[in-house]
Amino acid sequence: MFEFLFKYPSQVFSRGTFVLLSSWPMWLFGVGLVIVGAGLAWLVWRPGSPRAAGTDSPRMGGVRSVAVWLMQTAMAALLLFLLWHPALSVATLKPQQNIVAVVVDDSESMSIADEGSSTRRDAAVNVLNSSLIKELQGNFQVRLYRMSDHLERIEKLDQVTAQGQATHIGESLKQVVDDAASLPIGAVVLLSDGADNSGGIDLDTISEIRRQRIPVHTIGFGKEKLSHDLEITDAEVPPRALPDSRLSAMVHLHQHGYAGQKVKINVKEDGKILNSQEITLKADGVEQVEQVLFSAGPAGVKTVQIYVDPLASEENTRNNLVTELVSVDDRKPRILYFEGEPRWEFKFLRRAVEDDKTIRLTTDLRTTQDKMYRQLLSDQDANVDLVDGFPTKVQELFQYEGLILGSVDQAYLKPEQQMLIHQFVDRRGGGLLLLGGKDSLADGGYQNSGLNDLLPVVLPERKSKTYVIDAADVELSKEGRESLITRLDEDPEKNAEHWKKLPYLMNFQDPGTPKPGATVLAYSIPRGGGGGKLPLLIIQPFGLGRTAVFATAGSWRWQMLQPVSNMDHEMFYRQLLRWLVNDTPKRVTGSTPKSVISDISNIKLRAEVRDTTYLPAGDATVTAHILGPDGISEMVDMRPEPLELGVYSADYSAPKEGSYAVEISAKRGTEDLGSDTISFRREDGVAEHFHVEQNRELLEKLSSETGGRYYRPDEAGKLAKDITYSEAGITVRETRDLWDMPVIFLLIAGLRAAEWTLRRSWGVI
Amino acid sequence: MRYRNIGLVVACGLVSFFGTLFAQKPFKEWPAIEYNDFPLPQDYQQKADWTRARLRYPDIYGYPDNPRLVMRDGSPFPGYWTMDYPRSDRHLLQGVRRLTRIDTKSVEQVVSLDGTDEIYNWPVLYAVEVGHWKLPADQAAQLREYLLRGGFLMVDDFHGSNARDHYVNDGQNINEWQVFTDSMSLVFPDRQIEDIPNGDPIFHVLYDLQDRFQVPGAQYFETGITYEKGPTGKPPHWRCIRDDRGRIMVAICHNMDLGDAWEHSDEPQYLEKWASLAYRIAMNYFIYDLSH
Repeated sequence: MFEFLFKYPSQVFSRGTFVLLSSWPMWLFGVGLVIVGAGLAWLVWRPGSPRAAGTDSPRMGGVRSVAVWLMQTAMAALLLFLLWHPALSVATLKPQQNIVAVVVDDSESMSIADEGSSTRRDAAVNVLNSSLIKELQGNFQVRLYRMSDHLERIEKLDQVTAQGQATHIGESLKQVVDDAASLPIGAVVLLSDGADNSGGIDLDTISEIRRQRIPVHTIGFGKEKLSHDLEITDAEVPPRALPDSRLSAMVHLHQHGYAGQKVKINVKEDGKILNSQEITLKADGVEQVEQVLFSAGPAGVKTVQIYVDPLASEENTRNNLVTELVSVDDRKPRILYFEGEPRWEFKFLRRAVEDDKTIRLTTDLRTTQDKMYRQLLSDQDANVDLVDGFPTKVQELFQYEGLILGSVDQAYLKPEQQMLIHQFVDRRGGGLLLLGGKDSLADGGYQNSGLNDLLPVVLPERKSKTYVIDAADVELSKEGRESLITRLDEDPEKNAEHWKKLPYLMNFQDPGTPKPGATVLAYSIPRGGGGGKLPLLIIQPFGLGRTAVFATAGSWRWQMLQPVSNMDHEMFYRQLLRWLVNDTPKRVTGSTPKSVISDISNIKLRAEVRDTTYLPAGDATVTAHILGPDGISEMVDMRPEPLELGVYSADYSAPKEGSYAVEISAKRGTEDLGSDTISFRREDGVAEHFHVEQNRELLEKLSSETGGRYYRPDEAGKLAKDITYSEAGITVRETRDLWDMPVIFLLIAGLRAAEWTLRRSWGVI
Repeated sequence: MRYRNIGLVVACGLVSFFGTLFAQKPFKEWPAIEYNDFPLPQDYQQKADWTRARLRYPDIYGYPDNPRLVMRDGSPFPGYWTMDYPRSDRHLLQGVRRLTRIDTKSVEQVVSLDGTDEIYNWPVLYAVEVGHWKLPADQAAQLREYLLRGGFLMVDDFHGSNARDHYVNDGQNINEWQVFTDSMSLVFPDRQIEDIPNGDPIFHVLYDLQDRFQVPGAQYFETGITYEKGPTGKPPHWRCIRDDRGRIMVAICHNMDLGDAWEHSDEPQYLEKWASLAYRIAMNYFIYDLSH
C-alpha cells in the first residue's frame, strides 16, 4: 500500500534526502501563495458575491465560506509547490558491483520444527531458494555464510545443518564488518531466530556497523512464544558454602501452556536427589522465582543439577535443567564467643553447636570479677592468645571469622578494643552477633559506645531497663519465614507455624528500632503485653561483614522444654552462626562471574587480595594455577585492576569442556599472603536449548540500529528491492521525482471532492 | 509526658504480672524439718537469670503420700528433701552472688518431678539426703529426660554404704548408698557411676580443688567426728554420672554434707575450711554446669 501511494518503497524515504530541483527561490513560493490566497479570498468575499458574509445568502455565510477558502487555498498551494519540482536524493548500490552477505543461522535452535511442519533451518533455506537468492544475484554478488559461535563462508545452502552449539550474532557480524574493510559489502541479510546466547550484541559491534553504514536486514524465524514449554531461565546458587550447610537455590522459570499445573523442582547431585519441592506454575509468560533448599554435604566441588521433569506435550524439554557448581570449602571458621556472665544461654548455645563439625567455637567466659574461663579447642591452643582477656591486637582478633558478645557491659571493652571490633566487621569482613542480657545492648551502654554504628538497631535511650525477665513468644517476620537463618521447616508457612509453637523465651530485651537496611527476621511478643511485639532477631550487612542482634538470653528453653530428640535450638544456632561466618573472606578470595559457562570459553578470573591486617594489597604478585580436563595445567598471571585497589584479574579461555580448578596465590615479595581455590565448569551443547523462542526484539533492534529492516519470512520477497538503498559498498546517488506520486493526485482530487460534498450538503449547488 | 510515664509503668506492671502467671511457677516456701520461720530476703521477688532449684522428692518413709507421717509436734512430716532448707539455700545463693558473676535470685526454687514442664525451667537442681529418696518409675523417667535435655543434678548429704551401720527409730537398717543407687538406676539403668578424677575440669573451672577433704555435717558439733554411718562413711567420694559426650550431668557428693556447710557457714563453731571448701565446690559445679 505504501509503495502504491508513494511510488517508492519506504526505504527510499527513510534513507533519502528531500530536495527541490527547481532553481526558483523559495521566497517566490511564499509570495505566490499569498497572491493566490488573496485572489481566492476576493472571489469568495467580493462585494455583491452571494457568498459574502452579511448578504442575503445565509447558506454560505460565516464558517462555511472560510472552509471553502481554506480548501481552495490548500489545493492551490499544493499545485504551486509542485512547480518547485520536489524530489528525493537517495544512494543506491551500483548493480553487479556490490556484495550482499547472506548470513544463515546454523545453530541448533534452528532445528526446532515450529515453522509449520518444517524446521526453522528449512524455512530459511526455502526463503532463499524460492526467489530471494536469484533476485539478489540479479543485482549483486551474493556471499553465503553460516553462523553459530563463529562465522564461516559456505558455497551452498546444503552446508547449513543447524548443528552449531551456540549463536553469537555480535561476533559473527563483526567478522562481516571486518570483511567489509576489503570488500564492497553493501548490505547484510541475516536469517535467524535471534536466539543469541553470547549475552547480546555489544555496542562496539553496532557502532562499527553504523560507522560503515552497512544495513543489516533481518528475517526472523520461529515462534515468538512456544505453546507448550517450561524453561528454567536461571538458578542462583551460592558459589561457596560450608560443609553440611543448608543452601538455597533461587530458581527462575517461566512457562507457556501449563498455568496452574503443579510440578516438582528437583535438586540433584551426583545422581542423588537432594531435595524436591512442589510448586504451582503461574500464568503463561510470567517470570516465577522459587526457593529450593538443599544440603551442601561434605567438602568438595559439587555439580548441582536443578531440573523439572518433562511435562506432557512439552516442545522443548532440554531447557528444563540447569547446572551450577558449588564449592563446599573444607574450612572450619572460628568464632570467638565473649560472655560477661555465666548463664544458661551460654551453656546451651555451646551445646547447640558442639556437634557442628564446621564451626569452631572458642569461648571466653567472665566467671568472676577478674577471672575468665577460656574453652579452647585443642588444635588451636597454640595459636590463640587470650591470656589478657578480650583481644587487643589485630592479629589476635582477625584470626576469627565471627564474634559473639554476650552480656558484656560496653565499659568492659576499652575504646581501642571497640575500634578493633569495628575494624573486624568493617574491614576484616567478620560477623558480629550481640545477644540480649542484663549488660547487653542499651542496658550495657552500647548506645554510647564505639560499636553503636555497627548495630542493626538504634538502641533506645530509655533510662529504665530494656532487659526483662518475663515470658515472650516468638513470631517470624515475612523475611524470617524465608530466611535460611530461621528456617526450621522448609515450607515458609509451616516454618512460621513452627516458630509460633516454640516454647516461650525466658526473657526478652527491647533492642530499639531497626536501622534502614536492617532486616527483622523475628519478633518477640511479651506475654500479657497486649500483643505488642519487639524486634528479636535483626541482621544487617556492615562494611565487608555483617552484624546481628538476638535480643534475648532465654532461647535455652527451646532446648529444655522440648524432647531430647528435638533439634530446633541446635538448628537455629547452627544456622545463625553459619550465616555469621559463611561470607567472611579469606585474605585471598577468588571468584568468577559464573560457575558454569555454557558454550563459551572465555571466563574472567578475579581475586581480592589483602595483607595480614586485611588492608587491600595493591603491590602483590598474583598467579592463577589452572588445572583442567585432559591434564590441562596452566599458569596465568593476574593483573591489578586499575580502579580497585587489591583486586586482580585475568581473562582465561577454557579450551575444553569439563571442570576446572583454579588455585590463586598471592605474594608480596617473599611474604606469602595466602591462596584460594575456585572452580568453574565449561559445558557445551547447552545454551542452544534455552531462550529458543524467536527473539524478534533483538532482530528488530539490530535492523533499526543499522538502517535495515526486519522481515517476516512471508515478507522476504520485498527485501531484494529494499536492499538496493544503501550507503555502504559502491553506490550511486539518484534523484527520484515526487510530483507524480499517486498520493498527490489523490490529495488534489480529495480536496475538490470535499468542497463539492460540502456545497451539496449546504444546498448551494 | 507524665501520663506517658504512668502508662509505661502500668504496661510494665501488666507485663510482669501476666508474665509471671504464664511463665514459671512463682516462688513458694514449704514447711521444713529444721526451719519454718527463716526470714525471707528483702529482694526475694527480684527476678534474675538464674537460681538453683531444690528437688522435692518422695522418700522411703512414704512422703508425701503417707498422712501418718508426722513430726514430734504433730505437724505433717515435710519430707527428707527439706533437710537444711531454706537456710542452706539462702546462704549458698548469697555466696553465688558474692563469688561469681552469675545473676542469681536470692531464693531457691522448689521443684518436683510431677510430670509437668515446670522442672525444665530450672536447669540446675540440688537434692539432699538422697540416701532416703525413692523415685517411682515415672519420676525417674522425667529426671532422665531432664538430665538428657541438659539439666544438671547435684546430690549431697548421704553417707555410708553398709546397712548395719545405720539405725533409725523404726528399726530399719538403711544402706544409703544403696537407696540412692536404687532410684538412680531407674533413672539411668545403663550409665555407670564413676569417681571424678582430680584433673577433671569440674575441679578447676573456677577454683583449683585438687586437695579436697571431707566436709562434715552439723553432727560434728555434738560428736566431734567428721563422718557419719560408720567406717563406710569415712572416705569422701566425689562421683558422677556422665552424658554421652563425657560431661558430668549428675554430681554425687557422697560421705559429706555440703548442705550443712552452707547452712552453718555463719556459725563460728563450724570451721571455716569446711565451709570454704563447700562453697568452692558449689561454685565450681555451677560454673562447670553453665559452661559445659
